[in-house]
Amino acid sequence: MTPILEVRDIHTFIGQFHILEGVSVSVASGGITVLLGRNGAGKTTTLRSIMGLTPPTRGSIQFEGNPIQGKSTHAIAQMGIGYVPEHRAIFKGLTVRENLILAERKTGDYARKADFIFELFPDLKRLIELPGGNLSGGQQQMLAVARALVPDNRLLLIDEPSEGLAPVIIEQLIAAIQRLADQVSVLLVEQNFRVASKLAQSYVIIEEGHSRVNGAMNELVGDQSLIQRYLGVA
Amino acid sequence: MKTMQAPNQPTWRHWLRGNAFLFILLIGLILFPFIVGALTDSSPFGVPRGDRMIMRGESVRWQSVLIEVYILAILAMSYNLLFGFTGVISFGHALFFGVAGYVLGLMLEFTAIETGWALLLGALAGIAICGVLGLVVGLVTLRLKGVYFAIFTLAVAEMAFIFFGRWQLTRAEDGFAITELPLWLDPSQNRLNFYYVTLIAVVITFLFIRRLVNSPTGAVFKAIRENEDRAQSMGFNTLNYKLLSLTIAGMLAGAAGLLQVILNKKVGPELLGVSYTVDPLLMTIIGGIGTFSGPIIGAGGLHFLDVFLRDAELNLGGLVIDIANIWALLLGIIFILTVIVFPFGIIGTWQRWRARRKPPA
Amino acid sequence: MTGQRASLIAIVVILGGLVGVSALNSSSPGDFGITLLSGLFQGMLLFLVASGLSIVFGLMDVLNLAQGSYFMVGAYVAYDAQHAGGLIDLTAVIPDPNLRFIIAVIAAVLAGALLGYLLERGLLRPLYSRPIFQLVLTFGVSLVALELVKFIWTTTPYSWTELFGVRESFFELFGQRFSTYRLFVVGMGGVLIVTIALLLQRSRIGIIIRAGVEDREMVQALGINVRAVFTLVFTLGCAIAAFGGAIAAPFLGASTTLGNAFLLQSIAVVVLGGMGSYSGTAVGSVLVGLAIAVAQDVAIGTDFAALPSITPMLLLVLVLLLRPSGLFGNSR
Ligand SMILES: Nc1ncnc2c1ncn2[C@@H]1O[C@H](COP(=O)(O)OP(=O)(O)O)[C@@H](O)[C@H]1O
Ligand SMILES: [Mg+2]
Repeated sequence: MTPILEVRDIHTFIGQFHILEGVSVSVASGGITVLLGRNGAGKTTTLRSIMGLTPPTRGSIQFEGNPIQGKSTHAIAQMGIGYVPEHRAIFKGLTVRENLILAERKTGDYARKADFIFELFPDLKRLIELPGGNLSGGQQQMLAVARALVPDNRLLLIDEPSEGLAPVIIEQLIAAIQRLADQVSVLLVEQNFRVASKLAQSYVIIEEGHSRVNGAMNELVGDQSLIQRYLGVA
Repeated sequence: MKTMQAPNQPTWRHWLRGNAFLFILLIGLILFPFIVGALTDSSPFGVPRGDRMIMRGESVRWQSVLIEVYILAILAMSYNLLFGFTGVISFGHALFFGVAGYVLGLMLEFTAIETGWALLLGALAGIAICGVLGLVVGLVTLRLKGVYFAIFTLAVAEMAFIFFGRWQLTRAEDGFAITELPLWLDPSQNRLNFYYVTLIAVVITFLFIRRLVNSPTGAVFKAIRENEDRAQSMGFNTLNYKLLSLTIAGMLAGAAGLLQVILNKKVGPELLGVSYTVDPLLMTIIGGIGTFSGPIIGAGGLHFLDVFLRDAELNLGGLVIDIANIWALLLGIIFILTVIVFPFGIIGTWQRWRARRKPPA
Repeated sequence: MTGQRASLIAIVVILGGLVGVSALNSSSPGDFGITLLSGLFQGMLLFLVASGLSIVFGLMDVLNLAQGSYFMVGAYVAYDAQHAGGLIDLTAVIPDPNLRFIIAVIAAVLAGALLGYLLERGLLRPLYSRPIFQLVLTFGVSLVALELVKFIWTTTPYSWTELFGVRESFFELFGQRFSTYRLFVVGMGGVLIVTIALLLQRSRIGIIIRAGVEDREMVQALGINVRAVFTLVFTLGCAIAAFGGAIAAPFLGASTTLGNAFLLQSIAVVVLGGMGSYSGTAVGSVLVGLAIAVAQDVAIGTDFAALPSITPMLLLVLVLLLRPSGLFGNSR
């Protein structure tokens, strides 16, 4: 199966700092791939490089076979990529509805997707007229994911969705991401190894700006030494 | 990150080599009145008439042009300390320039103090008041985002301009003339002396700013310019450093204002006008923001162009335009182009070019 | 919400103070009414400059120091189009002065929009990575605009000489003659305030602007071309400022001092209201406008001739001293 996203050996600078020094990631069509690595390894920067927010200076990125590196962020998003950033980044002054409408790429996107979204996240329906800033952390995270589902995206980049959330909420979120993965491919960044192993079929480990290992998730789960070495978790 | 420290005992020879260009320039400027005098067969002291000297002749005329350059250079260097080295942008630098000028003028003309003392007191008070003014303006706004400071200075300078423009005591818009100056300093009697006074002021300002910027304090200034939050998180109280930079810049701009008043022997609201804010900004950016000699080169270059083009005409297919009429317009356009395509200015671009050609060992 | 309470109290106190001073200073309700109308008139003109300044600052982090210049250019273009001679002479084509005034205003708006578009696309765009230079650049543009105006129209101020219907009509109240045109401008300003508010609240572009004020990057990541929105908003802001200059010209004429005066006054408005806050800008405009009108009354026949011109700056300094985040601003 050809991958939906193919990142090959990208290098990214932030200011004068060389943050990514060769990262390659391949996301299979129709699956969930997780990016693993310690804090500061460069996972967020990888997602931001794909989105063109910190454009890579070297390497190539192909989405559905088309090169996207060098394009502007909005053009990359319009090709069908949804971004759910770290710390959610929902618009606190906008209502839930406005947050969702903002994500429309064609008029009517929101109306078309509303049923699916509210099925995944029933809470959002009754919060629809509240300002995003009034939502709890878990609700904000759900809104951030829902927002990425409004247009017809074929790939979602989700950065640490479980960060700072209560276990019950995390379970709901896992269920929702599993459901939506039927329809879109996902590149996930997740520090919580339990969550990652539940969701993903394949993994890529990043260390100090380099992608080191990749493979099938079920192989990694059994390989304690690899986990210990790169992630430092048991 | 590298630090650009010379690795060893600085001997005078070493120092001279590092500053050879500046040294030759300085000697040239010291001899300048005599060189022009010799070339044009005019006396650098003016023309004697009775027991006085009349300020006529090419040498004397060129001395004035250079004096104006020196004053603008001091103003621009002070602006550069604040903007170029500390990253704080002011749109009201004329405030300091004008206020010091008014203080000196008031002291000379409106008090009974004997001329020599009035000059000394006026100069000291002018500079001191500028320091206090900088401190106060800074305390109010430097805590806030940079744009507030820019706005605030714009407003305060404009207010001062309106105020002095309507103050009856100082003859409002007309201003007043300075009639009492010690003979030795009076540029209409003894231009050459004043020439050297301003030249010395430029040299002192230059050396002082270079010393300051290369000191640990200056390192903090530059850190603030690069990233204030980071400087703050490194444990520096950035507010205090910005205040210091502003206070010093204000005092230096005040010193330039004093010299301007002595040169023109006149005090008026034009000293607070927007052009004394715009000029140093232009000169700094065009000469090279954040470089030591950039503001001087900018001041010299722009003022010479101004003087040369004053009487020139532009012939656009029959439409004759006086350059003097569009000089400010041309300056503005040069300024905009510099900001966009040439942001490091003359000296900055040259330094970059040299650094690329000769990578540091 | 103590912050909002404090703001409300501050507004009431300032308004009360202004009304009090004005009432003490005027001999009849008619006098008072004139001051009020004049204050609202100036407030609306200020709003036309300040709204663009504020929205652009909130969205793009650019304080456009050339905003006042657009007001000035608007005034010159409208003056020129209305009167015989000059660059544009429409007296022969459109003899009816009222109709010609409408055309003159449209010409001014188009000029403002075009110049705004050029400034954003041509000059500001390369500098989004160097914000301090953007500030410096707009300052430079304001100087060039001033010089260009001087070059084209000379430095002599023009006062509006053509008397035509709208400008010359008055109505009477409390034994005083009130200018219908001023009332009309105030009404139009009110309509504009509401229209822009509705646009910001309801339309998609309004949602994008409000979202962009919060987090530009995320708006882009949703697939929205923020740069295009910048251009649109900047262009509109400049067009509105030029519109202000055009409708002010029948009263203020056209002069080279307009740009700086209105820039500083509207900066005072924006800081007073809270940088980037739309409601703050609307309220601030009215407050500053009234303050200027009251100062003009008070200054008559006294030695404080400079008072009205200093008033907005005094207010600005005062606000920065007491509450730099302004009435509706969040302190950041
Ligand atoms: N704006 C920035 N300036 C300097 N360094 C940065 C910046 N953003 C991120 N970094 C550095 O880049 C590295 C990778 O960061 P990031 O991609 O956020 O890591 P992760 O998401 O894997 O925790 C870190 O070492 C971080 O300190
Ligand atoms: Mg991260």
